[in-house]
Amino acid sequence: MIRRLLIANRGEIALRIIRACRELEIETVAVYSEADRRAPHVAAADRALAIGPAPAAESYLSIPRLLDAARASGADAVHPGYGFLAENAAFAAACEQATLTFVGPPSRVIATMGSKIDARRAMHAAGVPIVPGDTPDDQTDAGLRRAVERVGLPAIVKPSAGGGGKGMRRVRQADEIADAVQAARREATAAFGNGTLYVERLVERPRHVEVQVFADNHGGVRHLFERECSVQRRHQKIIEESPSPGLTPALRDRMTSAAVHAARAVGYRNAGTLEFLVDGSGDDARFYCLEMNTRLQVEHPVTEQVTGLDLVRAQLLVASGEPLPWSEAVTQRGHAVEARVYAEDPSQGFVPQAGPLLLYREPQRPGLRIDSGVVEGGEVSVYYDPMMAKVIASGETREIAIARLIAGLRDFPVLGIRTNIPFLLRILEHPRFRSGTVDTGFLDGEGAALAGEPEMEMPSFVRAALEFATESRIPTESRTPNPEPRESWDPWTRLQSWRA
Amino acid sequence: MGDPMPVTRIGAGVYRVEHDGRREIVYVAGSPGERWAFWNGHVFRDRGQPTAAEPASRPRAGVVHPLTAPMPATVMKLLVMPGSVVRKGDTVIVLEAMKMELPIRAPADATVAAVHCREGELVQPDTVLIELK
Repeated sequence: MIRRLLIANRGEIALRIIRACRELEIETVAVYSEADRRAPHVAAADRALAIGPAPAAESYLSIPRLLDAARASGADAVHPGYGFLAENAAFAAACEQATLTFVGPPSRVIATMGSKIDARRAMHAAGVPIVPGDTPDDQTDAGLRRAVERVGLPAIVKPSAGGGGKGMRRVRQADEIADAVQAARREATAAFGNGTLYVERLVERPRHVEVQVFADNHGGVRHLFERECSVQRRHQKIIEESPSPGLTPALRDRMTSAAVHAARAVGYRNAGTLEFLVDGSGDDARFYCLEMNTRLQVEHPVTEQVTGLDLVRAQLLVASGEPLPWSEAVTQRGHAVEARVYAEDPSQGFVPQAGPLLLYREPQRPGLRIDSGVVEGGEVSVYYDPMMAKVIASGETREIAIARLIAGLRDFPVLGIRTNIPFLLRILEHPRFRSGTVDTGFLDGEGAALAGEPEMEMPSFVRAALEFATESRIPTESRTPNPEPRESWDPWTRLQSWRA
Repeated sequence: MGDPMPVTRIGAGVYRVEHDGRREIVYVAGSPGERWAFWNGHVFRDRGQPTAAEPASRPRAGVVHPLTAPMPATVMKLLVMPGSVVRKGDTVIVLEAMKMELPIRAPADATVAAVHCREGELVQPDTVLIELK
């Protein structure tokens, strides 16, 4: 069993891992950059080591510094969390070489799944559906026409060398093929100096649904159902839930079986996620594997809430060589919805916010879980991801979970920096979200205007509270000669601004 | 102003306001220059009264107009030097904060009067980065 775990991460996920370790009586070692000296994850761990300056490249992303810290602290295992080095095959390999238990899959699996081409090939070989696509050897008009016919309509023709949407042409009918191929080739040549074209099936209004899988070292592989993640902005997930409101039981069976099959085929270990695009609805909807995430996901709590399992605990047990810790059938019970609270200003193009958390009070109520990495009086720094907290609501039904999440967010004051909470509330109240029919294009299309909606004018009673609070501060904070507070009946008001 | 609204402090930064027969809970933080309040999922930011010292919102000919950092950030790219002529909307500086690039653009056609930062430098909010005239 793991004895002492180094957590190569920060923020809420480091705290989440520390909590699981406490229950398993595993000692924890936090690492921190200069910017995080006073961060909550440093205070919560049993030991903490400074690993470098604030920029992540010189601290949380530095493999030599992390290995040095592991050696210096006597850790026998490393948990990478998510982000940073979590899907870096070289880091996993370096841990393996240093005989540190890496809490995740073997480095070769990370390497395979990290390469789009290799992952596509591995999934295809395992019989898992992937988005049909082809870069034909015959790049003539006729050769590309045959490629479009093989892939099927609607299709998208795009530069093989491409990126950023340049030169992409949609083809919905056969008589559009010739024009699309020629235009795409012209633009590809102009933009990339290479006219080679790739043809892919166009999935219109897809949903993003992923399946959580878990594998141990003894041949045990199982799935923990799905998470619906279609509420995204520029590929950044914002709201996730389980079960997906868009899957029928038959479709769920097909997708979870495919995910287990894929995990088995690539020799997967520990927690992983198969991401799928879902095309259409009902039992016969098609689904395509996009990629496999070889780590714990940010949104793992929704799975924990509906299955009642602790995924980090299971990760630590499996990494220690134990079999999957669930002997009975795992079921999906009720519904869970997670909203990610970001330090960003949706009304200003989502520019990240940094600064002091003057006031930060997490709501507490039954059915509401908050995984966070910040505290009141702390600071959101410019150096790292702006996600501050995840608010996860559960209930017997989707409606109850959503209502609970809305009530929780309305009761979550964060002052000192802007957050996306007002934006989250507008999404949760939107009819498309409520009806469970959001696709991945929603927030970049129909829902884009939700970001720019004007904030409410300050109501008179809010103004009254502001004025009262400001006046109460006069005795200690103002340099005016009047030493007497105007409303001094509450001694705590005065005590608040004393400095010891 | 209407009826007076009794306010009671019920905790650190938490106030109860009686209004229209209802009791509203309002959270307050900040200093008189920049006050924040929260009520029922809504955030209000009150920057106090604008003072004469605040810069004009758009540059006028001959008047020096500072461009400031909107947040703590690192100067990633400095694209102008003193004397550079810029057009409205030109990116003059690229800041980096929280793994995101943040372009600072010229608010109007202008000439760069002075540069007060260098690439790689960490700047605080409201630091004057360059001056335009």
